[in-house]
This record gives sequence, structure tokens and C-alpha cells, in this order.
Amino acid sequence: MSNATKDPIARGALTHPDVTRLDDVNRDVLKILSAPGKGWWALFGLATAGVGLFLTSWGWQIYRGIGASGLNEPVGWGVYITTFVFWVGIAHSGTLISAILFLFRAPWRQSIYRAAEAMTVFAVMTAGLFPLIHVGRIWHAYWLIPYPNSRFLWPNFKSPLVWDVFAITTYFTVSATFFYLGAIPDIAAARDRATGLRKKLYQLISLGWRGSDQQWHHFGKAYIFLAALATPLVLSVHSVVSWDFAVSIVPGWHTTIFAPYFVAGAIYSGVAMVITLVVPLRKIFGLEAYLTTKHFDAMAKLCLLTSMIVFYAYLSEFFMAWYSGEEIERTAFWNRLFGTYWWATWIMLTCNGFLPVMLWFKRVRYSIPALFVISIFVNIGMWFERYVIVVTSLSHEYEPFAWGIYRPSVTEMGIMVGSFAWFGFWFLLFTRLLPPIAIQELKEVLPPPMRKQKEAH
Amino acid sequence: MSTTGGLLASYEYLDSTVDAIEQLKKAGFKGMKAYSPYPDHHIEHALGYDQSPVRVWTLVGGLTGTATGFAFTTWTSMDWPLVVGGKPIVSIPAYIIIAFELTVLFGALATLIGLFILSRLPDLKPAVVYDPEFTAGRYGVYVEAEGGRLDEARKILNGQEPIELREGEGGADV
Amino acid sequence: MTDGIKRRDFLKVLGVTGAGATLTGCSEPERLLPYVVAPEEITPGVATWYTTVCDGCSAQCGMWVRTREGRAVKVEGNPNHPVSRGGLCSKGHATLQHLYNPDRFHGPMIREGDRLRQGTWDEAEQQLAAQIGAIGNVMFIGGRVGPSMSNLIDQFVTAIDGTRVQYDAVSDAPLLEAARIAYGEPGLPSYDVGNARLLLSFGNDFIETGSSPVAHNKGLAQMSSVDAAGSKGRFVYLGPRLSTTGLNADEWIPIRPGSEAAVALGMASVIAGDAGAAGPYADVLRSYSPATAAQAAGVSEDAIRELAERFGSDSPTLAMGPSAGGHHRNATAANVAVMILNDVAGNVGRTVHYDANVTAAASAYADMESAVSAMAAGQVGVAMVHGTNPAYSMPAASGFAEAFAQASFKVSFASAMDETAALADLILPDRHFLEAWGDSMPRQGVMALQQPVMQAVPHFDSKQAGDVLLAASAHLGNDLGSATFYEFMRAGHMEMHDASMGDFEVGWRQALREGAVEHEVAATATTQLQAPDVALSFDTPALDQGGDLTLLVHPSPRFGGGEFSNSPWLQELPDPVSKITWHSWLEMNGNTAEQRGIREGDIVTVTSPHGSVDVPVWIYPGIREDAVALAMGGGHTDMGRWANESGVNALGLLPSESEQPSGAMVTLATTVSVTPTGERRRIATIEGSKGDQHDRPIAPAVALADLGHAEEDEEGHGELQELQGVGGFVPVPGDGGAATAFPLEGAQHGPYAESHEIPRWAMAIDLDKCTGCSACVTACQAENNVPWVGEDQIVMGRDMNWVRIERYYEQIDATQAGDLDVRMLPMICQHCGNAPCEPVCPVFATYHTPEGVNAQIYNRCVGTRYCANNCPYKVRVFNWYRYTDENVPDPMNWQWNPDVTVRTNGIMEKCSFCMQRIREVENRAALEDGRGIRDGEIVPACEQSCPAEAIVFGNIRDENSRVSQVVSSERTYRVLDEILNTQPAVHYLKKVTFHEVATGGHE
Repeated sequence: MSNATKDPIARGALTHPDVTRLDDVNRDVLKILSAPGKGWWALFGLATAGVGLFLTSWGWQIYRGIGASGLNEPVGWGVYITTFVFWVGIAHSGTLISAILFLFRAPWRQSIYRAAEAMTVFAVMTAGLFPLIHVGRIWHAYWLIPYPNSRFLWPNFKSPLVWDVFAITTYFTVSATFFYLGAIPDIAAARDRATGLRKKLYQLISLGWRGSDQQWHHFGKAYIFLAALATPLVLSVHSVVSWDFAVSIVPGWHTTIFAPYFVAGAIYSGVAMVITLVVPLRKIFGLEAYLTTKHFDAMAKLCLLTSMIVFYAYLSEFFMAWYSGEEIERTAFWNRLFGTYWWATWIMLTCNGFLPVMLWFKRVRYSIPALFVISIFVNIGMWFERYVIVVTSLSHEYEPFAWGIYRPSVTEMGIMVGSFAWFGFWFLLFTRLLPPIAIQELKEVLPPPMRKQKEAH
Repeated sequence: MSTTGGLLASYEYLDSTVDAIEQLKKAGFKGMKAYSPYPDHHIEHALGYDQSPVRVWTLVGGLTGTATGFAFTTWTSMDWPLVVGGKPIVSIPAYIIIAFELTVLFGALATLIGLFILSRLPDLKPAVVYDPEFTAGRYGVYVEAEGGRLDEARKILNGQEPIELREGEGGADV
Repeated sequence: MTDGIKRRDFLKVLGVTGAGATLTGCSEPERLLPYVVAPEEITPGVATWYTTVCDGCSAQCGMWVRTREGRAVKVEGNPNHPVSRGGLCSKGHATLQHLYNPDRFHGPMIREGDRLRQGTWDEAEQQLAAQIGAIGNVMFIGGRVGPSMSNLIDQFVTAIDGTRVQYDAVSDAPLLEAARIAYGEPGLPSYDVGNARLLLSFGNDFIETGSSPVAHNKGLAQMSSVDAAGSKGRFVYLGPRLSTTGLNADEWIPIRPGSEAAVALGMASVIAGDAGAAGPYADVLRSYSPATAAQAAGVSEDAIRELAERFGSDSPTLAMGPSAGGHHRNATAANVAVMILNDVAGNVGRTVHYDANVTAAASAYADMESAVSAMAAGQVGVAMVHGTNPAYSMPAASGFAEAFAQASFKVSFASAMDETAALADLILPDRHFLEAWGDSMPRQGVMALQQPVMQAVPHFDSKQAGDVLLAASAHLGNDLGSATFYEFMRAGHMEMHDASMGDFEVGWRQALREGAVEHEVAATATTQLQAPDVALSFDTPALDQGGDLTLLVHPSPRFGGGEFSNSPWLQELPDPVSKITWHSWLEMNGNTAEQRGIREGDIVTVTSPHGSVDVPVWIYPGIREDAVALAMGGGHTDMGRWANESGVNALGLLPSESEQPSGAMVTLATTVSVTPTGERRRIATIEGSKGDQHDRPIAPAVALADLGHAEEDEEGHGELQELQGVGGFVPVPGDGGAATAFPLEGAQHGPYAESHEIPRWAMAIDLDKCTGCSACVTACQAENNVPWVGEDQIVMGRDMNWVRIERYYEQIDATQAGDLDVRMLPMICQHCGNAPCEPVCPVFATYHTPEGVNAQIYNRCVGTRYCANNCPYKVRVFNWYRYTDENVPDPMNWQWNPDVTVRTNGIMEKCSFCMQRIREVENRAALEDGRGIRDGEIVPACEQSCPAEAIVFGNIRDENSRVSQVVSSERTYRVLDEILNTQPAVHYLKKVTFHEVATGGHE
């Protein structure tokens, strides 16, 4: 019994010095769900307005035709696919933190993984819209789904876009399942504190969870298996997305490095986005006790690692282009650095390659404002990384006579900016409806109350 | 002709809970049930659980997914053979991706269904004997006993200084 | 989709043409004789073909017209025509858009105050007769017309004793006058370009303008292709700027503007030596030498001497004098000088024929000047304008508008609004030539008939000018013998007919079927040089001083003199030289621009003593540093929705002056100053890389010397390196021959099973023949319902043409005489065996048919555009908007080809190898008791219209097919195939150069 109790205490002590009693957690976390403050309403208003912009821009594009974008030949993909890849990337760290770190028993994941998972789900929801937004005939987009139809035609499973359909839907389903499953006990906790309509709602979605030994038993196992399934999925999804490009023959796309390169980039941007989201969350709801500098330090280290992988990928791309001796490859990458879109490339290199060097310094890793600022630059940098990959490659392909320049249109930018609001809208709702911090998992790492030790004093 | 009843004790401390369970078991009580705010392996240990059959669901679901993935893609390709890019009409490498995604998808869904069935979820009828504090900070032990042994059970549970001890209908909430 | 044809109109048309095509309106019923399809009644769904004559320009090419359900939907070149011999230029194709031009008048327009109201024909003709009767002093200003119409006009004018003035903006007057002076011949010389071994063009743009661009284009291709003996004719261009014609030259001698005479005579002096050849001009020659020539032209003496020697020895050779773009103040003399050069080189009677009497747009600007002064002096009562638009095509300086206003009654026969009609009091809209009768005599002994191919477009209540004149004469009590122009014309031909020509009816019907009949003309005695009967100055002409840059104003290959400007096809057709669409541009040499700190796209003010225009600069290495060039045809103010406000009118910079003695309008007359306005614009071009092919294997060439012993081990290595470079690609068999490797292992399943029953469609394009004239681009647009998108969309990079003629400079130097190497490459869907576009499509919207065609299934497409991204040739175009709805007004949609889907927005499209034509032939073959398809029976639109006959289509599985034969050439290659292994079905034959190929030519 004694050593059975020791290690939880030890682990608890590591991350949560100020929280001692189990129901402290309920108190602190569930109070978030009570009446929101001004800050929340301000953000929510902003988000709602943004969603309006998002829907009007999209509506206009559907009414007018995809020409409302700035796309052309040869640049058939632009801001839309860029933003799609960006959001898929964001979606990654969620499952990474909840599944992979769970399997590795990383001690610092508990207090952030719920928020991270929510981010994942909403990010996939956002990302999933962009393939629809960018097609010419959205009213026929469902033709990508395999179902018996009057055309006697099935989708082309050789096409990376069909792989995408499967990868993204699977990823959404699994991460949503994972998110919900992990939340059930906490919803029950909320239920037992809530009153009125909220209670009814929680009763329903907590599925009558009691926290009985039998439930906990299967729950634990199921959670592990889901984590085990989600882990390869995380790695596969962004690989599949990267194959949208790598499978093609476009110079600048057609490289074998893409899958690992994209996965690293995804985790990089994802963790950065978690930081961006959690910092205000911590401030607004006063969760300093649960989101300690140790957590941020750990996330910063993860950023640092992935940023180095990503930067290595950049360098190796340029090196290979030169080393290949192939004029077409060389031109493509020369154009990347010094061509029409040089500025995008240099933003990318600065934000993703040079800036994260600061994370080597402990003082930076422990300064939450610094991390917040850096994380935002990383997000910008990662958006531009995709922009550079998508646009510069397409603009200078094999046929010099057909080279072309692409300039995003207002509609496009409206939809891109609006997508952030769309994401924020759901995330804000989440913070008000579900416990944004995993109550029951926190309790696992707290010292369980022991009578014998009391007497021992 | 004897009545059966149930006792629900709420504890503040983990060790008291575990001790109570162990003593009840020693005394030969069946139909015990423990509540806790988080999954605690001491309690599971005390109640003597072994592997959960959920894993079987996961495995079967996953394999079904793999098979479906390959079968479906191959069949649809042959259903109306169209050559694209001079590639073979059935291109296994491309189909591996579909098969993989379906493996994960089916595996995950099967796991969820398995969990629900095994842990009797969803279960929306109101609990008969239940303490809302279980989701906050308290542990609980529920035991069933025939009228005769009810007192013995009460004695054991009280021995661990419960915060609260309630009597309920037999068979409730098991 | 737009509801193009109202049902009633449709039935009307169907009924009318259906009943043996009776013409309604004023003319008598007359049978129209279909050309190809036997049954004369309309079979819905089956095309009926008619033969007629293209009345687009003075060339009068033979034309086939494809009609469906009584609508003309496509025009094509008539291979049986003795002059044009098949092929049709872009302008010819675009005449269809003038037929369905929504800006045509809906009926006769009568002026009331400052507005025009629509009236009835009776009313209009009454008024015309009344005014003529009342006022008199009729002046009939007319453009080029056929012999019968010309005859009728003369009779009409004489009957009311008025005057007739002939005027065309772009004319060959100096050439004509030169022929008269030097040889006393009344017609233009006819050139046998095809047989020349060395061709010299002194600023003559013979494949764009002149007596027969299509025929000359054909000739150029024939001349420059390698013959059995392994030799090919050489083409040297002497001029300050490379036109489309010039870009096809093997050498460019960038002589100073206006120095043609000096150079020609300098060369002649070398050839003639002291032999005193050149008859009456021997003395003239003595005062010229390569030295004087070099001095005048600003090029090296050796270059001229060496060229002269070749010109004397490589006979037969051929030289052509300056054409409309180079009509300077001594243009006639320059043409005479070139005639002397031909004479001393012994080309007369071999490559130049003066006795053919080729008719030309030879009307003189000088006559127009006197007409203007007459009108200004109020000596003109009724001014009638037919078939010309002086208010636009005469320089503003001429004061035509003001003078025209002086005439008390002004009549226009314009069928659609133009700048002159806008000033008229009465507009009598003429028929389009596809709705009307007419004839043409492209040269003596050739009689071609122009017949209506459909009932007049019902939207427009038009009437043939000839009928109007006859009606008016009748009103005035003058009987011209016939009630309708058709009768008048037939009568005229009967008169000309003599027994030697056989039965008249037979000849007539034959002319209608074949398009033309040719009968022998007694060849006149061999022509001798005659002493000039007028003073000729062979000096470089003086220029008005407006600045330090010479202004070159040339007819546009797209718009001619501006009469074609209101066609969206032509507006959107990338200019063969600049690849710019819609707007005007100023061509300027890069060095000149650099010195002045001008960048491409800068809008500059071009100022001459006669006017100024603001126009964006386009940097062009093919123009001398001391010159700038502007094309005609832009800046219409009152023509139609597409022409108006598009570009600037170059004529505004010119003086109103006629060259003496020919009386042609002077187009090379002034220098200009160029000053930046500080504004910029994005040029509406389709060109991405400024003519640089970055040493990629796209448009390679091979030196003539290397032919026969090329293709050695060297190549293998090159390929291997390329492959290693790109990596990941399957090695390619080095044959570069027929791509029968399709389908590959594993794909040979069901309908794809390897079998020689199935044809494999393929195409071969000979880059040595292609002149980049762009006729195929418009032909394809017409055949395949390819919409136009408008200037703003082009600027965004959304051009829709299925054919893109790529123009790469390999060797071009405006500072000295030297080799010229510009590659033209028509890029269409390559129909790759391993098409990168196919596997990436999620919905099978594009896939490979068993016949080896890369099919695009429009109604499957959801518009992911992945295929276009993955197409290395960038030949896939996307419908960003509902172009076909939004851009195509009624009745222009009457032109749509019913056999081709009209695409909606959000879907991808591209070249289909004219699948509809393949299917049509397949079906016909099947109906004719399942006979096989004959080789050459399937002719895609591009091949049909190609004047150079550079394109061949057929079944490459049949080793006897034409395409297999052509592809077996050692020059065959496939674009990018060696590095991407795409296995295209489109094969190209390398251009053959005389010089060693420096770049872009590596295999």
C-alpha cells in the first residue's frame, strides 16, 4: 500500500504543487463552466463576426463561381489548399499529446490534453471544409464518396484526393471518439455539480456514468486501445496529405521527404497552436495551478525538436535540388528563394528556422509571454510554409512558356481569415460546455487521500 | 423467505475503501461494487479484475477494416475497368492506404461499441443509491446482503469510518 | 445553358434551308448545292457543307462552310481552290463571328436629329432614291468588292452620273504601281514561294497580309521543308522589325527602315556586275554597290555582298518588296528596286509571274484624299460608303469626319455599326458574305462563286447591297437589266462565258460545288523590264521629325487594318509575335527601354507631329533599337462591344499622306518621342518565360548538316543524365518513335486488351513547317465551343484556348545581320500514354480510352484542378466562371457546334483530338457497311485549317498511315518525354536550322 501511494504523490508533486484535495480539481475546473466573463464574451463576439465573414465570402464564391478566387492556370491550388494543410497540421498535436504521450506516460500531458484534443477536433472540422471550398463544383463534391450511384462509377482509389477523403474522415471520427470518450467521466462530474437544463444535458451526454469499478476497468482498457490506434493514424494522416503533393510530378512537390517532413511540421505547428490557445485560457480562467511553467517548458522543447526537423527538411530540399543537377528542379527552388514569392519563403525560413533558436534558452522557455509571441510567429511561419510549397511550385513548372503568377483574391482571404474565426467559435463554446481540463486524469496524478498517513503525523 | 438489501458507504480515503473491500471479500460477500473519482488500480486489484475483453473488439474491428479496404478497392476497380496514367487497373500500393485507414476506423468504432456494451453504457435511468461526490472526491463501496448478513456488512463498512452509510434496495444499480 | 435558338427561329431556318435552301427576302428562289453530304434536305444531326469564297480580305480564299440545321457553325479552307489550296487564317474563321455579331443592325436605320431609328426597307430605299434624285452629286466610296458587284456599282454610278472612289485601308498599291512601271502589267505579280531556294523578304509580311497570305504561308512551309536531296530553302528577312513572317526567317538582316531600295539595288549591282543586265535600270545600278547599301541600311557590307552572291547563285530565288507595313514615301521605288533584283537574278517567269494579273486591294489613298477635299468643298451631295470605314482607317489628320459631315446626305451600307456609319443619315445594313451572293476573281482565269450558305440570320433584317442599288435604280427609273443582284451576277457571267469553257450551266454548277473554276489564259510574252515613266527616288525616304525613334505601323495579323476588331476570337487570339491579347502594345527593343529606364508594362506616351497615344510597352528583341512598332486595329470608338476601347488607334500618329506615284497611304512616315507616364499595367499576355525555354527539351532543333547522321550514342547519355536528374522515373526507350507501348502491363484488361483492331490516335506536328500563324488556335476555338474570357481574365492568367503556340527565342540579334532562330511550338494536350493528369483525378473525370486518347468527361468533373497541376504541359484549362453563358450573347451562340458539349463553370477542359470528328467518321464508316476508316479521313480542326500543312493526324498502329510515316522521321521527338516518360501521342518534328544548334536542341 505504501509504495502504491508513494508514486502518485511523487508524480502529483511534480506538476501540481498547489492542488492537494481531489475535489479541489472539481472546484477549480468546473467553475470555468459557470457564467463567463467579459473576456470570453469579447472573444466570442469577434469569432461570431468572423464566422459571418467566412460564410458570406464562401456564399459569394459559390454564387459567382470558383473564379471569385485568384486562382488561375498554372496555379490551380492556392490559399485554400494552403489553409487546408495548415489546419490538418494544427489538428495533429491534439492526438499526439493525448494518444502518443499517453502511451509514453508523459507526466505533463494531463492538464493540456483535453484542450489539445478539442483543438484537434475543431481543426479537422475546419480543415475538412477547404477541399469543399476549393472545388469548382461543390454541389458535386459528394461524388468523391464511394456509394452505389446511377453513374455506375466508383471513385478512383488511385487518387491521393480519395486517400484524403478516407484519411480525414477517419481522423475526424477517431479523434472525436477519443475526445468524447475521455470526457465522459468529467461530464459526469459536471453533471453532479450542475443544475437545471445543464444537468439534463450532462445527464444525457454522460450516458449515465457512475464511476463504478466495472466502468473504470473497461474504460481504461478501451482508452489504451484507442490511443494505440490513434497513434499510427496521426502519423498517417499528414503523410497522406503530403502525398497529395509528393505523388504528383510537380517540381518542388515530387520528393520522398514529404511524409516525415509534413508530420514534423504538423506537430510543430500543432504544439505552437496549443500554446497560443492555452495561454489565454490559463489567464482568463485562472488555471495557473494546473498549467504551470513546467508544461510550457515541455511544449517548448517539443517545438524546438520539431522545428529542427522541419528546418533540416528545408535545407535538404534545397540541397537535393542543387545536387540533382537537374535544371528544372534547380529553377524551381531558385525561384522559391529569389523568385516572385521570395518574401513568403523568407517569412517561412525566419519563423520556422531561425526564430525557434530562442527556445534553446531556458529563460525563454519559462517565459510565458515570450512563448506566446513565438508560438504565434510559428503559426504564421507554418502557414507560409504551405503557401510556399503549394504556390511557388505550381507557378514555375516544366513548361516555361506557361509559367504564371497567382495573387489571392479578397474572397479567398476572407475565407481564410474566417476559418480562424470558425475554429475559434467552436473552441470558445467548448471551454464553456465541457471541462477544458481533464478532471479525472488530474486526480490520477494527485496524491490519493490516505487515513493511515494522517494518523502517522 | 428473506429480504435482500444493499449498503452504500462513502469514504474519504482510498485506503479505507480498499480495506473495506478486502474485509468484505474475506467475510465472503459477493456482489460488491466500488466507486471512485478516477480509475484506481488498488481498488481494481482488491476486486480482483483481469484483462478486459475490449481488446478483442478492437482486434476484430481492425482486421475487418483491413479486409474491407482491400476487397472494396479491388472490386470497384474491376467493376468498371478504367486505365489511368497507364497504371495497372488494380494498383495494390495505392489501395494499402485505404485499407490502413479503414483498419483504424473500424478498429476504433468497434472498441467504442465494445466498451459501451461491456460497461452497460449508456444507462440513463436514475441511480437508486448513488453519491454525487463520487465524481468529486469520495470513494464508495456498495455491497448486497441477505437480511441476516446485513448487519455484518454494516459493521465492516462502519469499521472504516465512512462519511456516510446508506441503505438501498437489493440489486439496485448493479 | 443559354437558350440560344428560339424554337420558332429554328423552325424558320430549318424550313427555309430545308426546302432546298430557298432564299427569302428579295432574291429569287435558288438551289444551294451541298458539297460533301449527298442529300440536299437537312438531316437533323448531320452536317451539310457548302462551298463559298471567304470575303474577309483581298485574298479571297476558298472556303467550306459546315452548316447544322441550317446554321453555319464552322468555316474551313477549301483544298480545291486554285489559289488558297486549303487552309484558312484566323481572320477567315472569325468571319463567322461577324455573321452572328450581336452588334449588327436589326434593320435599316434612318437618322432623326442626332439619333438613328429603325425603319423598313421600303422606307429606306424610297428615301435613298428620293435623296439621290433631289440632291444628286453622288459619290460612292467603296472598298474591295467582287467583279460583278464592282460592275454593278459602276453601272449604278454612271446611271446617276456620280463618281466612284475605291478605298481600302490596307492595300498593295505600291506593288501594283511598281509592276506597271517596271513591266507594264496591270496586276500584282504572283509569287511561287514554294519553289524558291533562297527567299528574301524586304519587310514583306506575306503570310499575314498581301495578295494571298494562306497560299504564301503554304509556300513558305513547302520551301523551308527538307526535300529528298536533304536540302531546304533559306529565308532571309530584311527589315527593321520581325513580323510573324519575319520570325520564320533563317537569317535576319535588320536594315534601317526605308533602306530596302538601296539594299536591293546594291545586291542587284553585285549580281548584274558590269554585264549591264537590268536593261533600262543598268545605269541606276552603277550608282549602287554593297558599300552604299551597307551605308544606307546600317549593316555590314560583307553581309550584303555575301547575300547578293547567294541570291545570284542559289536560283531560283525570290525577293519581295515592302508590304503595307513598310509603305514609306518611296515604297513604289523600293518595290521596283526589288523587281530589278528579281530580274537580274533571273527569277522572272520562274518564281515571279507578272502575267497572272492577281487582283488586289489596290485602291488608292490618294483618290480618297481628293474625295475628302471634294466633300469638304461641299461638291458632294449624296455620299455613299460601302465596305470600308474611312472614319476609322484614315488618319485623324485627314479630316475625313469633318469633310464627310459637309455632304448633305450620307449613306452607309455597314451591316454593323462602325465609325463611318455612326456619321451617316441612312444606314442600309448589307448582308454578311455567308448570307449573300457574290463572286471573286483572285487572278485571271480563276472564277470563284460566293453563295449564301444559310438563310440570313433572322435577328437582323439585312439586305444585300447589290439588291439595294438595283432597287434604288429602279426607283430612279434606271433599268440595270436585272431585278436582283443574283440575276445581275449570273447574267454577267453568261456574257463572259464563251464556248471554249463548255456548257455554262455545267460550269456554273461546278463552280458552286468546287468553289471555283479555272480556265487557261493565254500566257503573255515573257515580260521585259521597261524604263520608268515616272520619276523614282531609290533613296531612304525622309521622315517627319517627332523624336528619336522611328515609328513602324503595321497591319495586325489579327485585325488587319481594324475591320476585324469586333471579334472576341481575334481579340483573345494571342498575337503571333507578342502573345498579347486584346489591348495594344508598343514594341521596343530591350536596350532602348533600358537606356530610358522603361520596364515592360510601363504605359508611355508616344508622340508624333500628328498626334499622340498612351500605350503599354512590350520588350521585343526582334525590333531595331532605333524603332518602335504599333499594330493597326485597336482603339475603335464606335464599332462594337468587343472592339470599342480596346487598345489604341496607331493611325492617329500618322500624317494623312499618300505615297507617290502609287497613291498608297504612307505607314512609315514619322519618328516619335516616347515618354513614360509613370503608370503601369499588367500586360494581357499568355507568355510566362519571356521566350526563354531554359534549355529544356521542349522545342529542340537540329542543324541541317547533322541530319542523316544524328541520333548516335550521344543521345543515350543525355537521356540518362536527365533521368538521374529528375529521379524516380522509368527509363525511356531511346527510340522516340511511335508510342505503341500503350497500354502497359497490368492495364491490358477488358477493352484495353492489346489488339490491333483498336486504332491508336496520334498526331505529328512538323515544327519546321509551323509558322506560328495561329490559324489552328481560332479553328479549334470555333470547332470545340471554347469560350473567350475577356482581357481581365487573361491578365489573371485564365486563357482558355486549347492550342497554345509557344514562341521561344533561341538566337535573335537586332544589331547586326546574322542567323535567326525562333521556335514556334503548337502546344496541345499530348494525350500521354502515361498521363500524369489521369491517376490524380478522384472521380475518373479524365482517363485513357482504349484508343489511346486522354479523355475528359466534363459531366464527371468536380473541379479539383489536380489534373491541371499535374500536367507538365499545362494544356488543361478551367472554366472559372460560366463563360459560355456570361460572355456569349445571342445570336453568337448560333455558331456553337452541336456535336460538342458546351461546358459550364467549375470544370476542366482540354484538347480532345476533336473526338466528335473521330466519332462522326467512325459512324459513317460503320454505316457504309462497316468499311474501315480511311487514313486521312479524320481531320481535326487544327489540321484542317493549317495553311502550312504542319499537322498530321491518324492511327499510329497502322504503319502505313500518314502519321506513322511522318513520325518515322529522325527529327521526331516528344516533348519532355525523355525526362518524364509521359509517352505522348503527339509527336513533334524538330525544326531544321542552317546554323549549328546552340541551345534548346539537346536530345
